[in-house]
Amino acid sequence: MSNAPLLELRSISKSYGSVQALTDVSFKAHAGEVIGLVGDNGAGKSTLIKVISGVHAPDSGDLLVNGEARHWKSPHDSMAAGIETLYQDSGLAPHLTIGANIFLGRELVRSGPLGKLGFLDQRRMERQALEELDKVGISVPAGRKTVSDLSGGQRQAVAIGRAVMWAKNVIILDEPTNHLGARQSQEVLNVIRAAREQGLCVLFISHTLPHVLEVCDRIVVLRLGSIVRDDPTDQYTVESLLGTITGLTK
Amino acid sequence: MSVQSSSVEAAKATPPTKKGNSLGSLATNQLTILLVVFVALFFYFGSQNARFFRTGEISSLVVDFSGLVLLAIAETYVIVSGGIDLSVGSTVAISGVLGAEVMNHYQGHMGQVPLLLLGTLICALVGLVVGTINAFLITVVNMVPFVATLITLSAGAGYALVVSGGGDVGNIQSAIIWSSTGWWIFTWLSLIVLVIATVMCIVLHFTRYGRYTFAIGSNDFAARAAGINIKRHIASIYVLSGLLSGLVGMFWFIRIGAGSPTTDATANLEAIACVVIGGVSLTGGMGSVVGALLGCAILTIVTDGLVFINVPPTWNQVVVGAIIAIAAALQALRGTRSRR
Repeated sequence: MSNAPLLELRSISKSYGSVQALTDVSFKAHAGEVIGLVGDNGAGKSTLIKVISGVHAPDSGDLLVNGEARHWKSPHDSMAAGIETLYQDSGLAPHLTIGANIFLGRELVRSGPLGKLGFLDQRRMERQALEELDKVGISVPAGRKTVSDLSGGQRQAVAIGRAVMWAKNVIILDEPTNHLGARQSQEVLNVIRAAREQGLCVLFISHTLPHVLEVCDRIVVLRLGSIVRDDPTDQYTVESLLGTITGLTK
Repeated sequence: MSVQSSSVEAAKATPPTKKGNSLGSLATNQLTILLVVFVALFFYFGSQNARFFRTGEISSLVVDFSGLVLLAIAETYVIVSGGIDLSVGSTVAISGVLGAEVMNHYQGHMGQVPLLLLGTLICALVGLVVGTINAFLITVVNMVPFVATLITLSAGAGYALVVSGGGDVGNIQSAIIWSSTGWWIFTWLSLIVLVIATVMCIVLHFTRYGRYTFAIGSNDFAARAAGINIKRHIASIYVLSGLLSGLVGMFWFIRIGAGSPTTDATANLEAIACVVIGGVSLTGGMGSVVGALLGCAILTIVTDGLVFINVPPTWNQVVVGAIIAIAAALQALRGTRSRR
């Protein structure tokens, strides 16, 4: 095992036209670490995760996985490197079945020549999807249900299960407890802890500060596109965290 | 540890916004209803006029049906992916006219079959060019599909008139033989169309290509996040739509023995009508090729059957409008009912 961080950002900057979304952002994330990424709206959280997941390319700076500099041409590249991202409220295709969503972009094809032609093995995907979700502690109704048939909480569970199931290195969760009730939020936090046990690095983006303080090992605070504080969780309180986010305290 | 998420607060926080139907049963129900409607219409027209049941009449129904099928399938792919292609009708016209010009030029210099194959090739190429222009405007220039294909609709229809001088091009009567011979109620031409339709149906519903088409129409952001190259996929769908429309241009050439700049001017509307009747959602992500085919069958049987109950053909478009209204209203009603 090398001591290189699982994920490292060095001086990442990104602008959209005249809007400077990220300025000189650097941080390291290690295996088995849950890192809270917090900031007000427009602080650059979304841009940062889009850079890490390959949706946008940074204007400058380096992104390293396991100590190796990487460049993503598309989200496909970051996924191949073991980085999974769950986007806020938009991770699933509602008209497709649970199995189709779990395997979206990684479809299982039939064996033999039919598979070479791209024929899908739909039954195997539906079955394996439920099995794999069960493994990460998520149970959903059996049968070929479409995601639009599920409740909001169930959709979120499927989306998180999908990310945990495929992640090899880093898992990015953007507001995973949004719209969830108290009990379901706790279950999501439990899935995050389970991912940490598996040796994954979790980037947890949330506005719900008690959740962040409860589950994270470290909290990174973004303001106006820059990192203003990066400390272990026990050095924060809700008040000091809020103060740092809004810029009222140092 | 398990996230069993059926609790009341979550259901209240995010009520399912899309139609909450079980896909399998919904699709089956809908196809069954369409089939029943088709059979009922078939026997209704037959009971009003026994001539309707003659092999010749049915065969001519099948030919009219076949002329629509490939356009409806092209539209199904495009609409399932969340887009729209208004240019299919004008692509039929421009490919038919250009194909006819080329065949006219080489007539007498080569045999009948090579000449028709050459024409098919030209029509396919013209379709590919129009499809590529659509794909470029949509995925590179970032136009919305409605505007991009409105441009090619207008330019294509206009160019067909320019090239043809406004009238039919060419006169290759021997081509018509291909449209009148065949097997049982099927002409050779119809059989070819049905084979292509079967392949397109299998690709949409059983392969990765089809799965990506549905995924993009259902939630393009999710599809992109899942690593699907959505621009390339969308581009390929418009190119495919153009190719199929080009082939329909050849179909019409063989039917009438000439390339006509006006014959299929409204075919884009008919194709979209078939697709709507067939239950393909105009917001993307939902639909089936079989549904679109049943939509074609119903549209064809109504427009052809009107003559047999002594309704003047001038009423055709009004009746088509009425059918679309009924189909769309049923879809909208079912949507609101299941949304609760």
